[in-house]
Amino acid sequence: MSFTSPFAASTAKAGYGTIELAVLPPDTPVLRNVSYQYPLKLVAPDPLPPPERKPNSNAPRLVHTVFLLTYGGGIVAGDAINLSVSLEDRTRLVLLTQGSTKIFKTPDPILISRQHMEVKLAAGAALVYLPDPVQPFAQTAFSQSQIYHVDGEQSSLCACDWVTSGRSARGENWDIHEYKSRNEVWTSDQAGKKRLLLRDNLILDKHGRTGMQLSERMDGYSVFGTLILRGPVFASLAQYFMDEFEALPRIGGRDWGDSAQLELSPKEQRRVQRQAREKTDGLDWSAANVRGFVLVKFASREVEGSRNFLRDMITDEGSVAASFGERALLCLK
Amino acid sequence: MTTPDSQQSLEDEIADLERRLQDARSRLNAEDVPVAPSTLTSEAALHALLLLADSALPLGSFAFSSGLESYLAHHKPSPPFASQLPSFNVFLRLSLSTLASTALPYVLAGYRSPADIETLDNDFDASTPCTVARRASIAQGRALLTVWERSYQTQYSPTATDNASRDDSFPQESGAAEALTSFSTALRKSDLINAHLAPLWGLVTRVLDVPLRAAAYLFLFSHARTVVSAAVRASVMGPYQAQAVLASTELQDRIRGLVEEGWEREVEDAGQSVPVMDLWVGRHEKLYSRIFNS
Repeated sequence: MSFTSPFAASTAKAGYGTIELAVLPPDTPVLRNVSYQYPLKLVAPDPLPPPERKPNSNAPRLVHTVFLLTYGGGIVAGDAINLSVSLEDRTRLVLLTQGSTKIFKTPDPILISRQHMEVKLAAGAALVYLPDPVQPFAQTAFSQSQIYHVDGEQSSLCACDWVTSGRSARGENWDIHEYKSRNEVWTSDQAGKKRLLLRDNLILDKHGRTGMQLSERMDGYSVFGTLILRGPVFASLAQYFMDEFEALPRIGGRDWGDSAQLELSPKEQRRVQRQAREKTDGLDWSAANVRGFVLVKFASREVEGSRNFLRDMITDEGSVAASFGERALLCLK
Repeated sequence: MTTPDSQQSLEDEIADLERRLQDARSRLNAEDVPVAPSTLTSEAALHALLLLADSALPLGSFAFSSGLESYLAHHKPSPPFASQLPSFNVFLRLSLSTLASTALPYVLAGYRSPADIETLDNDFDASTPCTVARRASIAQGRALLTVWERSYQTQYSPTATDNASRDDSFPQESGAAEALTSFSTALRKSDLINAHLAPLWGLVTRVLDVPLRAAAYLFLFSHARTVVSAAVRASVMGPYQAQAVLASTELQDRIRGLVEEGWEREVEDAGQSVPVMDLWVGRHEKLYSRIFNS
């Protein structure tokens, strides 16, 4: 007589993970499903109410947080991580890491470690993904992709993707075999036809016929990053980045002393301080408003420079901390 | 008497000589059959290539430096009077590498699948995350489309070319011309269409019957020419030096190598290989004084 297990068969595969954030009627967001398999680990602390929530607003009562971890604190050659995330209408999720994602040395350049994340955002859902940077050590081959599927104009996304030159304390300076990171945002029309809204694809490998080492190609920068902002929840943050970019001092311009104001407003004071710090940190950035996104590109001499920049900008503007809580900025502390 | 080191170098030398011998033999054999990949199939194709290579082609390319101006502003020479030529040479290499990794796949795809032109245009637009680069690409793409409509269309539309002298190696030739015509009609109706240069370059060269390798080579060469010409106007080098850069075998080998390397690359795998280029191009808007549009 065969025994039938009362539980559903496990379909989990190594490195696979799922996060499903749903709404329990009438209005309580719950993590319907959090599952993961070695080497991936997901940790979901208790959800917190947003610090500021206007009555009768569309904002959900609770904001969920999930930490993406890997056993051993990094990705070993040949590892493949495959995470699928889905957010229903009127849910908010913060995705975080605990420390930089370390990529360990590969015995063979053709053995590529991979990380793939597929996120479905319903209209009215919002995701904050502000992880620590990826830190590929020397002689590594890594390829990651973050694919977001949004539903119309109302899905909100704030996602950062940044990478460092390796263990600079050990003298590593982009001594990698290969690093690829792809961010895509897709939408579908009524007929179900997919349309690409944004593709940000970074390819660092030996190709390109530059005859230059990867480190030379990077022009002295140790960190490169992209911040993608979209949707109503991040509209004011996006506008803040555009305004601050507009307010940057002109390159090659001279200060004749006639533009200095005696009384600075608190906002202007913070701006002056931040710009001074950008200069000492060797941080350069640009922002562009294209196709309904604000895309921020930044680079700095050291990791801390980029971290300072992101933290200062997002904290000064304030809306992310107000609607997602301080926890959302944990990786920028 | 030989140390392991010199033994190794002798072995390397022998391997190198053998390889060169083999190479020379294969070239000797190949000379019987003239199938060099970039050979132009007909004088008509050569004619079309000369049209597109002409610096008088009204694309307005001279208005763009593709980030050179911003790059020079970010790399001031340390004594202010020092030559900027060494840093220009670095920029030209990086700029060609970027163009080959981001735009060349779209040139190839525009040529190979004319029917997909609208999707290619949308995807290229989605992959150009920078206002300045986007503006430059769209301005030149639209100009190329205008040149096609006003100057080439009557010569190259399916009815005009219905003669026996044409090489019939592309059976869907008329399909390409139709795709181009319907694309330019759609451009007027839809605000989702941008008309970027790279996919249109592929499609127009296809309609003009330029061999694909030549079309891809010319795309990269035109970019090098534009950047070098911008360098002349930015007082980095003189016009004779500029011609020397363009004529150099170094540039030839680089362009040929980039076409070779990107030949099989799908548009999905197009991407930025020099991330700092996005910053230079994006920060062009922040320059105090500008003589170029990008």
